[in-house]
Amino acid sequence: MNTIILVAVLTMAGLGTFFALILAFFSKKFAVQDDPRVEEILAILPGVNCGACGVASCHLFAESLLANKVPINGCIPGGAEVAEKLSALLGVESEMPEKKVAVVHCGADANVRKLRARYQGVETCSAANMIAGGELACIYGCLGYGDCFDVCPFDAIRMIDGLPRIDLIKCTGCGKCVIACPRDIISLEPWDGSHPLVTVACNSLDKGKDVRKICPVGCIACKICEKLSPELFKVENNLARFNTPNLKEYDNWEKPLEKCPTNCIVKLSDKVPSLSK
Amino acid sequence: MSEFLLIFISAILVNNFVLKYFLGICPFIGVSDEVTASLNMGMAVTFVMTLTAPFVWLINTYILARFNLPFLEYVTDIIVIASLVQLVEMFIKKYSRGLYNTLGIYLPLITTNCAILFSALFLVLRNYNFIQSIIFGFGSGIGFTLAIVIMAGIREELEYADVPKPFKGAAITLLVAGLMALAFMGFAGMPSA
Repeated sequence: MNTIILVAVLTMAGLGTFFALILAFFSKKFAVQDDPRVEEILAILPGVNCGACGVASCHLFAESLLANKVPINGCIPGGAEVAEKLSALLGVESEMPEKKVAVVHCGADANVRKLRARYQGVETCSAANMIAGGELACIYGCLGYGDCFDVCPFDAIRMIDGLPRIDLIKCTGCGKCVIACPRDIISLEPWDGSHPLVTVACNSLDKGKDVRKICPVGCIACKICEKLSPELFKVENNLARFNTPNLKEYDNWEKPLEKCPTNCIVKLSDKVPSLSK
Repeated sequence: MSEFLLIFISAILVNNFVLKYFLGICPFIGVSDEVTASLNMGMAVTFVMTLTAPFVWLINTYILARFNLPFLEYVTDIIVIASLVQLVEMFIKKYSRGLYNTLGIYLPLITTNCAILFSALFLVLRNYNFIQSIIFGFGSGIGFTLAIVIMAGIREELEYADVPKPFKGAAITLLVAGLMALAFMGFAGMPSA
């Protein structure tokens, strides 16, 4: 009995070694010379496989870059820093990509939200939104289940009082949260830290009267901001919007912020000079 | 000679692995949406099957039978198959990067393709000799290739067909597979090995 076990073990060991040797021999013989630059590019890339560049993974991006299929500044999370390093490595001139950050257009946290129903389903925004448009009285507002928080590859989103707060330093503008949000509350805004970041934290297209009924911090389209600073604010479809292309004329923003009756114009960040080199 | 031919034809048509024994369905469904890719998949499987057969035969006859270790058959078969698949993978990666990317996960999955293990077990069960084993392995591989390429051809045409919504995708593919199996039943009357 013992000999059979011994023989069996020896047989398996022998066969295993035999095939291992064959494989070792052929792996030498069929060794593939990968372009060494792929590894170097990979070391520069953030390596989060977010897909913001348009190809599936960072590895694929590196290969496509060598094949000239993607622009050298195509890595959105990497931003200017990565583009600079890549152009140094490959000797190609690069235009610096504009730094963008995600901005949440809703200011109603869990303390002020009004509900019109009770929802007891799967705890994701997309599921809640599918059931008759969610339990919130406001059909435009943040549902607060944190789909954006779940997809953020850079740990830049925190859910505080049921509202996503974006760490503007960590945010790379990859846009994953923009896609994840079923209510399109998050948008990407150009911001390089050279000025404070101001936004209208509301996404409601309802009339002012209707907004007042359900939300204390919603935009009621009173147009005060537009009157005070017409180049920066514009009210359309019952909603004020911060006019990002006019960032250069960025002086007259403090007054509308003070005067907004519902305080839905908010300053998300002061100047961050270290970001804008 | 006619005996070899009989084994060969029987493995391809009469006892087609996919359509008679329903083996290797995973790649049969998974890689059959494009004729070229499925042809390459078929060739990879044929290569592994053809090479597996002599190795398995040698190991069975000269090691397992001699030392009275028939219970090791499955394990040794798997070792042989896994090694050969590794070999094919290296080979394809070296000589055809595009094919390597097309086959993707299905390439290493040839290891777990039950059709290959079945062919290895079958040739022992039927007491084939060395030459017969190789011919059987090769024939089985060709049979698999035939089935998967026909399937891919039909599916390419299906892209343009007005398939009712509930049958779209996997459902119509399985229906087509069933109809193909029925058609291959027509060979059942032929003499087989």
